[in-house]
Amino acid sequence: VAEPSTLLLFLTGAGTGLVGSLLGLGGGVFLVPLLALAMGVPIRAAIAASLISVIATASASATVNLSRGLVNLRLGLVLEVATSLGGLAGGLTAAHLSQRQLFATFAATMTLMGVLMAARSGRRNVIPDTSVDPGRLGGRILEGGTLYVYRVRRLPIGLLASLLAGAISGLLGLGGGIVKVPVLNTFCGIPIRVAAATSTLMIGVTAAASAFLYFARGDVILHLTAAVALGALPASLLGARLSERVPTRFLKLLMTAVLLVVAARMAWAAR
Amino acid sequence: VSAPTRLDLAIETALTAGLGTSAVFLVGGLALESAALLRAGLLLLMLTPVVRAVVVTVGLVLRRDWLFTVVSLAILGVLGSSLYTAARIAADR
Repeated sequence: VAEPSTLLLFLTGAGTGLVGSLLGLGGGVFLVPLLALAMGVPIRAAIAASLISVIATASASATVNLSRGLVNLRLGLVLEVATSLGGLAGGLTAAHLSQRQLFATFAATMTLMGVLMAARSGRRNVIPDTSVDPGRLGGRILEGGTLYVYRVRRLPIGLLASLLAGAISGLLGLGGGIVKVPVLNTFCGIPIRVAAATSTLMIGVTAAASAFLYFARGDVILHLTAAVALGALPASLLGARLSERVPTRFLKLLMTAVLLVVAARMAWAAR
Repeated sequence: VSAPTRLDLAIETALTAGLGTSAVFLVGGLALESAALLRAGLLLLMLTPVVRAVVVTVGLVLRRDWLFTVVSLAILGVLGSSLYTAARIAADR
Protein backbone atom coordinates (compact mmCIF):
# COMPACT_ATOMS: atom_id res chain seq x y z
CA VAL A 1 0.00 0.00 0.00
CA ALA A 2 1.38 3.41 -1.00
CA GLU A 3 1.71 5.52 2.12
CA PRO A 4 0.45 9.14 2.04
CA SER A 5 3.15 11.84 2.24
CA THR A 6 4.43 13.10 5.60
CA LEU A 7 3.03 16.57 4.91
CA LEU A 8 -0.45 15.24 4.10
CA LEU A 9 -0.42 13.13 7.27
CA PHE A 10 0.76 16.08 9.35
CA LEU A 11 -2.05 18.26 7.94
CA THR A 12 -4.61 15.49 8.51
CA GLY A 13 -3.51 15.25 12.14
CA ALA A 14 -3.67 19.04 12.46
CA GLY A 15 -7.17 19.27 10.97
CA THR A 16 -8.66 16.50 13.08
CA GLY A 17 -6.83 17.78 16.18
CA LEU A 18 -8.24 21.27 15.67
CA VAL A 19 -11.86 20.21 15.19
CA GLY A 20 -11.55 17.55 17.89
CA SER A 21 -10.21 19.94 20.51
CA LEU A 22 -12.81 22.58 19.58
CA LEU A 23 -15.48 20.01 20.41
CA GLY A 24 -13.71 18.60 23.45
CA LEU A 25 -13.02 15.31 21.71
CA GLY A 26 -9.86 13.47 20.79
CA GLY A 27 -10.63 13.75 17.08
CA GLY A 28 -10.44 10.01 16.40
CA VAL A 29 -13.99 10.07 15.07
CA PHE A 30 -12.70 12.03 12.04
CA LEU A 31 -9.22 10.57 11.87
CA VAL A 32 -10.18 6.90 11.49
CA PRO A 33 -12.52 7.52 8.51
CA LEU A 34 -10.01 9.89 6.86
CA LEU A 35 -7.10 7.45 7.15
CA ALA A 36 -9.03 4.26 6.43
CA LEU A 37 -11.52 5.46 3.82
CA ALA A 38 -9.88 8.45 2.11
CA MET A 39 -6.24 7.33 2.24
CA GLY A 40 -6.56 3.57 2.11
CA VAL A 41 -4.57 2.90 5.28
CA PRO A 42 -5.36 -0.63 6.58
CA ILE A 43 -8.10 -0.33 9.22
CA ARG A 44 -6.05 -1.67 12.13
CA ALA A 45 -3.14 0.67 11.35
CA ALA A 46 -5.63 3.57 11.07
CA ILE A 47 -7.15 2.68 14.44
CA ALA A 48 -3.73 2.39 16.08
CA ALA A 49 -2.56 5.73 14.63
CA SER A 50 -5.80 7.33 15.74
CA LEU A 51 -5.53 6.03 19.32
CA ILE A 52 -2.05 7.48 19.68
CA SER A 53 -3.01 10.76 18.04
CA VAL A 54 -6.07 10.97 20.27
CA ILE A 55 -3.78 10.76 23.31
CA ALA A 56 -1.86 13.77 21.95
CA THR A 57 -5.01 15.80 21.19
CA ALA A 58 -6.85 15.03 24.41
CA SER A 59 -3.80 15.56 26.62
CA ALA A 60 -3.00 18.89 24.95
CA SER A 61 -6.65 20.00 25.38
CA ALA A 62 -6.60 18.83 28.98
CA THR A 63 -3.65 21.10 29.81
CA VAL A 64 -5.69 24.11 28.63
CA ASN A 65 -8.87 22.95 30.41
CA LEU A 66 -7.04 22.24 33.67
CA SER A 67 -5.59 25.73 33.88
CA ARG A 68 -9.11 27.08 33.32
CA GLY A 69 -10.45 25.01 36.22
CA LEU A 70 -13.03 23.38 33.92
CA VAL A 71 -12.07 19.78 34.71
CA ASN A 72 -14.14 17.95 37.35
CA LEU A 73 -11.38 15.63 38.59
CA ARG A 74 -13.47 13.49 40.97
CA LEU A 75 -16.15 12.81 38.38
CA GLY A 76 -13.42 12.13 35.82
CA LEU A 77 -11.74 9.57 38.08
CA VAL A 78 -14.94 7.67 38.81
CA LEU A 79 -15.86 7.45 35.12
CA GLU A 80 -12.26 6.67 34.13
CA VAL A 81 -12.41 3.33 35.94
CA ALA A 82 -15.24 2.36 33.57
CA THR A 83 -13.68 3.83 30.39
CA SER A 84 -10.28 2.22 30.94
CA LEU A 85 -11.85 -1.19 31.62
CA GLY A 86 -13.92 -0.78 28.46
CA GLY A 87 -10.83 0.32 26.54
CA LEU A 88 -8.90 -2.75 27.59
CA ALA A 89 -11.81 -5.05 26.66
CA GLY A 90 -12.32 -3.30 23.32
CA GLY A 91 -8.63 -3.47 22.49
CA LEU A 92 -8.62 -7.21 23.17
CA THR A 93 -11.82 -7.82 21.13
CA ALA A 94 -10.75 -5.75 18.11
CA ALA A 95 -8.36 -8.46 16.99
CA HIS A 96 -11.32 -10.79 16.37
CA LEU A 97 -13.60 -8.53 14.29
CA SER A 98 -13.62 -8.05 10.52
CA GLN A 99 -13.20 -4.69 8.83
CA ARG A 100 -16.89 -4.67 7.86
CA GLN A 101 -18.04 -5.41 11.38
CA LEU A 102 -15.86 -2.57 12.65
CA PHE A 103 -17.33 -0.10 10.13
CA ALA A 104 -20.91 -1.15 10.92
CA THR A 105 -20.35 -0.74 14.68
CA PHE A 106 -18.89 2.67 14.01
CA ALA A 107 -21.88 3.81 11.90
CA ALA A 108 -24.49 2.57 14.37
CA THR A 109 -22.80 4.29 17.33
CA MET A 110 -22.49 7.62 15.55
CA THR A 111 -26.12 7.65 14.38
CA LEU A 112 -27.44 6.94 17.85
CA MET A 113 -25.34 9.70 19.42
CA GLY A 114 -26.19 12.22 16.70
CA VAL A 115 -29.93 11.66 17.16
CA LEU A 116 -29.60 11.91 20.93
CA MET A 117 -27.66 15.13 20.71
CA ALA A 118 -30.09 16.69 18.21
CA ALA A 119 -33.11 15.76 20.31
CA ARG A 120 -31.84 17.36 23.49
CA SER A 121 -29.67 20.26 22.31
CA GLY A 122 -31.97 22.97 23.72
CA ARG A 123 -31.85 21.88 27.34
CA ARG A 124 -30.07 23.68 30.18
CA ASN A 125 -28.55 21.72 33.02
CA VAL A 126 -27.27 24.36 35.37
CA ILE A 127 -28.90 25.91 38.40
CA PRO A 128 -28.40 29.69 38.76
CA ASP A 129 -28.49 29.46 42.56
CA THR A 130 -25.09 29.01 44.19
CA SER A 131 -26.54 28.04 47.57
CA VAL A 132 -27.50 24.64 46.14
CA ASP A 133 -25.15 21.89 47.34
CA PRO A 134 -23.38 20.42 44.26
CA GLY A 135 -22.86 17.11 46.11
CA ARG A 136 -19.76 14.95 46.17
CA LEU A 137 -19.33 14.80 42.38
CA GLY A 138 -20.97 18.01 41.15
CA GLY A 139 -19.41 21.44 40.88
CA ARG A 140 -19.67 25.07 39.90
CA ILE A 141 -19.13 26.81 36.60
CA LEU A 142 -18.91 30.49 35.67
CA GLU A 143 -20.71 31.34 32.45
CA GLY A 144 -21.37 34.84 31.14
CA GLY A 145 -20.46 36.35 34.49
CA THR A 146 -22.90 34.18 36.49
CA LEU A 147 -21.83 31.37 38.81
CA TYR A 148 -23.93 28.24 38.27
CA VAL A 149 -24.14 25.02 40.24
CA TYR A 150 -24.62 21.58 38.71
CA ARG A 151 -25.32 18.27 40.38
CA VAL A 152 -24.48 14.90 38.87
CA ARG A 153 -27.66 12.95 38.12
CA ARG A 154 -28.12 9.34 37.03
CA LEU A 155 -24.50 8.33 37.73
CA PRO A 156 -25.13 4.67 36.75
CA ILE A 157 -26.03 5.82 33.21
CA GLY A 158 -22.83 7.86 33.13
CA LEU A 159 -20.83 4.81 34.23
CA LEU A 160 -22.50 2.54 31.67
CA ALA A 161 -21.93 5.08 28.89
CA SER A 162 -18.28 5.37 29.96
CA LEU A 163 -17.83 1.61 29.85
CA LEU A 164 -19.36 1.53 26.35
CA ALA A 165 -17.33 4.57 25.29
CA GLY A 166 -14.18 2.79 26.44
CA ALA A 167 -15.09 -0.38 24.57
CA ILE A 168 -15.82 1.59 21.40
CA SER A 169 -12.57 3.45 21.90
CA GLY A 170 -10.55 0.27 22.04
CA LEU A 171 -12.45 -1.28 19.13
CA LEU A 172 -12.55 1.68 16.76
CA GLY A 173 -9.61 3.90 17.71
CA LEU A 174 -11.59 6.75 19.22
CA GLY A 175 -11.12 8.35 22.60
CA GLY A 176 -14.81 7.84 23.29
CA GLY A 177 -15.54 11.53 23.90
CA ILE A 178 -18.14 11.39 21.13
CA VAL A 179 -20.19 8.99 23.30
CA LYS A 180 -19.42 10.34 26.78
CA VAL A 181 -19.91 14.07 26.17
CA PRO A 182 -23.49 13.79 24.82
CA VAL A 183 -24.54 11.30 27.52
CA LEU A 184 -22.97 13.24 30.40
CA ASN A 185 -24.60 16.40 29.10
CA THR A 186 -28.08 15.11 28.28
CA PHE A 187 -28.60 12.44 30.96
CA CYS A 188 -26.31 13.31 33.86
CA GLY A 189 -26.85 17.05 34.02
CA ILE A 190 -23.23 18.09 33.41
CA PRO A 191 -22.81 21.41 31.56
CA ILE A 192 -21.39 20.68 28.10
CA ARG A 193 -18.12 22.57 28.68
CA VAL A 194 -17.42 20.68 31.90
CA ALA A 195 -18.43 17.39 30.26
CA ALA A 196 -16.07 18.07 27.35
CA ALA A 197 -13.19 19.26 29.57
CA THR A 198 -13.51 16.32 31.96
CA SER A 199 -13.76 13.97 28.98
CA THR A 200 -10.47 15.27 27.52
CA LEU A 201 -8.69 14.32 30.74
CA MET A 202 -10.22 10.82 30.71
CA ILE A 203 -9.57 10.17 27.02
CA GLY A 204 -5.79 9.86 27.45
CA VAL A 205 -6.12 6.96 29.88
CA THR A 206 -8.91 5.33 27.87
CA ALA A 207 -6.92 5.42 24.63
CA ALA A 208 -3.70 4.32 26.34
CA ALA A 209 -5.42 1.23 27.79
CA SER A 210 -5.89 -0.16 24.27
CA ALA A 211 -3.04 1.63 22.42
CA PHE A 212 -0.44 -0.58 24.15
CA LEU A 213 -2.19 -3.67 22.77
CA TYR A 214 -2.17 -2.37 19.18
CA PHE A 215 1.48 -1.38 19.57
CA ALA A 216 2.39 -4.83 20.88
CA ARG A 217 0.55 -6.53 17.99
CA GLY A 218 2.62 -4.53 15.51
CA ASP A 219 -0.31 -2.50 14.14
CA VAL A 220 1.44 0.85 14.61
CA ILE A 221 3.06 2.20 11.41
CA LEU A 222 5.75 4.33 13.05
CA HIS A 223 6.27 7.05 10.46
CA LEU A 224 2.56 7.49 9.67
CA THR A 225 1.53 7.64 13.32
CA ALA A 226 4.33 10.04 14.25
CA ALA A 227 3.40 12.48 11.47
CA VAL A 228 -0.31 12.47 12.39
CA ALA A 229 0.36 12.87 16.12
CA LEU A 230 2.85 15.70 15.52
CA GLY A 231 0.23 17.55 13.45
CA ALA A 232 -2.41 17.02 16.10
CA LEU A 233 -0.34 18.44 18.97
CA PRO A 234 -0.05 22.16 18.08
CA ALA A 235 -3.50 22.23 16.44
CA SER A 236 -5.10 20.86 19.60
CA LEU A 237 -3.51 23.49 21.80
CA LEU A 238 -4.96 26.10 19.43
CA GLY A 239 -8.41 24.48 19.24
CA ALA A 240 -8.72 24.13 23.01
CA ARG A 241 -7.93 27.82 23.42
CA LEU A 242 -10.45 28.85 20.74
CA SER A 243 -13.22 26.65 22.13
CA GLU A 244 -13.98 29.13 24.92
CA ARG A 245 -15.08 31.75 22.38
CA VAL A 246 -17.52 29.51 20.55
CA PRO A 247 -21.16 29.57 21.77
CA THR A 248 -22.38 26.39 23.52
CA ARG A 249 -25.34 25.89 21.20
CA PHE A 250 -23.10 26.08 18.14
CA LEU A 251 -20.84 23.40 19.68
CA LYS A 252 -23.82 21.08 20.15
CA LEU A 253 -25.06 21.60 16.58
CA LEU A 254 -21.60 21.11 15.12
CA MET A 255 -21.22 17.86 17.05
CA THR A 256 -24.62 16.62 15.84
CA ALA A 257 -23.78 17.38 12.22
CA VAL A 258 -20.40 15.69 12.50
CA LEU A 259 -21.89 12.55 14.02
CA LEU A 260 -24.47 12.14 11.28
CA VAL A 261 -22.06 12.77 8.40
CA VAL A 262 -19.48 10.32 9.75
CA ALA A 263 -22.21 7.73 10.42
CA ALA A 264 -23.47 7.95 6.84
CA ARG A 265 -19.97 7.59 5.43
CA MET A 266 -19.23 4.58 7.64
CA ALA A 267 -22.55 2.90 6.84
CA TRP A 268 -21.69 3.31 3.16
CA ALA A 269 -18.32 1.62 3.74
CA ALA A 270 -19.92 -1.28 5.64
CA ARG A 271 -22.62 -1.98 3.03
CA VAL B 1 -14.82 28.23 35.78
CA SER B 2 -13.35 27.85 39.22
CA ALA B 3 -9.68 28.49 40.04
CA PRO B 4 -7.45 25.49 39.22
CA THR B 5 -6.22 23.58 42.28
CA ARG B 6 -2.57 22.72 42.93
CA LEU B 7 -3.32 19.17 41.82
CA ASP B 8 -4.85 20.50 38.57
CA LEU B 9 -1.60 22.37 37.93
CA ALA B 10 0.56 19.33 38.79
CA ILE B 11 -1.43 17.22 36.30
CA GLU B 12 -1.03 19.95 33.70
CA THR B 13 2.76 19.97 34.24
CA ALA B 14 2.96 16.17 33.91
CA LEU B 15 0.99 16.23 30.65
CA THR B 16 3.03 19.10 29.19
CA ALA B 17 6.32 17.37 30.08
CA GLY B 18 5.18 14.08 28.50
CA LEU B 19 3.89 15.71 25.32
CA GLY B 20 6.98 17.94 24.97
CA THR B 21 9.47 15.10 25.40
CA SER B 22 7.68 12.78 23.01
CA ALA B 23 7.38 15.58 20.41
CA VAL B 24 11.18 16.06 20.50
CA PHE B 25 11.72 12.32 19.88
CA LEU B 26 9.12 12.22 17.09
CA VAL B 27 10.53 15.26 15.26
CA GLY B 28 14.03 13.78 15.59
CA GLY B 29 12.77 10.39 14.41
CA LEU B 30 11.11 11.83 11.30
CA ALA B 31 14.08 14.09 10.47
CA LEU B 32 16.72 11.37 10.92
CA GLU B 33 14.47 8.56 9.64
CA SER B 34 15.23 6.64 12.82
CA ALA B 35 12.75 3.91 13.74
CA ALA B 36 14.24 3.70 17.24
CA LEU B 37 13.56 7.40 17.92
CA LEU B 38 10.01 7.13 16.49
CA ARG B 39 9.30 4.07 18.61
CA ALA B 40 10.63 5.84 21.73
CA GLY B 41 8.57 8.97 20.96
CA LEU B 42 5.34 7.02 20.44
CA LEU B 43 5.89 4.96 23.60
CA LEU B 44 6.51 8.16 25.58
CA LEU B 45 3.28 9.59 24.18
CA MET B 46 1.33 6.47 25.20
CA LEU B 47 2.92 6.51 28.65
CA THR B 48 1.98 10.17 29.24
CA PRO B 49 -1.55 9.32 30.51
CA VAL B 50 -0.05 6.62 32.74
CA VAL B 51 2.35 9.13 34.31
CA ARG B 52 -0.59 11.51 34.67
CA ALA B 53 -2.57 8.81 36.49
CA VAL B 54 0.37 8.26 38.87
CA VAL B 55 0.58 12.02 39.57
CA VAL B 56 -3.17 12.10 40.35
CA THR B 57 -2.82 9.18 42.75
CA VAL B 58 0.10 10.78 44.61
CA GLY B 59 -1.81 14.09 44.75
CA LEU B 60 -4.87 12.39 46.26
CA VAL B 61 -2.71 10.63 48.87
CA LEU B 62 -1.16 13.99 49.81
CA ARG B 63 -4.69 15.40 50.17
CA ARG B 64 -5.62 12.37 52.33
CA ASP B 65 -8.57 11.84 50.01
CA TRP B 66 -8.64 8.06 50.60
CA LEU B 67 -11.87 7.25 48.78
CA PHE B 68 -10.64 8.78 45.54
CA THR B 69 -7.15 7.35 46.09
CA VAL B 70 -8.74 3.91 45.89
CA VAL B 71 -10.58 4.92 42.69
CA SER B 72 -7.31 6.20 41.23
CA LEU B 73 -5.48 2.99 42.18
CA ALA B 74 -8.16 1.00 40.34
CA ILE B 75 -7.38 3.00 37.18
CA LEU B 76 -3.66 2.29 37.61
CA GLY B 77 -4.57 -1.38 38.01
CA VAL B 78 -6.35 -1.41 34.64
CA LEU B 79 -3.46 0.40 32.94
CA GLY B 80 -1.04 -2.03 34.57
CA SER B 81 -2.96 -5.04 33.22
CA SER B 82 -3.00 -3.47 29.76
CA LEU B 83 0.79 -3.00 29.87
CA TYR B 84 1.26 -6.54 31.17
CA THR B 85 -0.98 -8.01 28.43
CA ALA B 86 0.82 -5.93 25.79
CA ALA B 87 4.20 -7.19 27.05
CA ARG B 88 2.94 -10.79 26.79
CA ILE B 89 1.65 -10.22 23.24
CA ALA B 90 4.96 -8.62 22.21
CA ALA B 91 6.93 -11.49 23.75
CA ASP B 92 4.84 -14.05 21.83
CA ARG B 93 5.38 -12.37 18.46
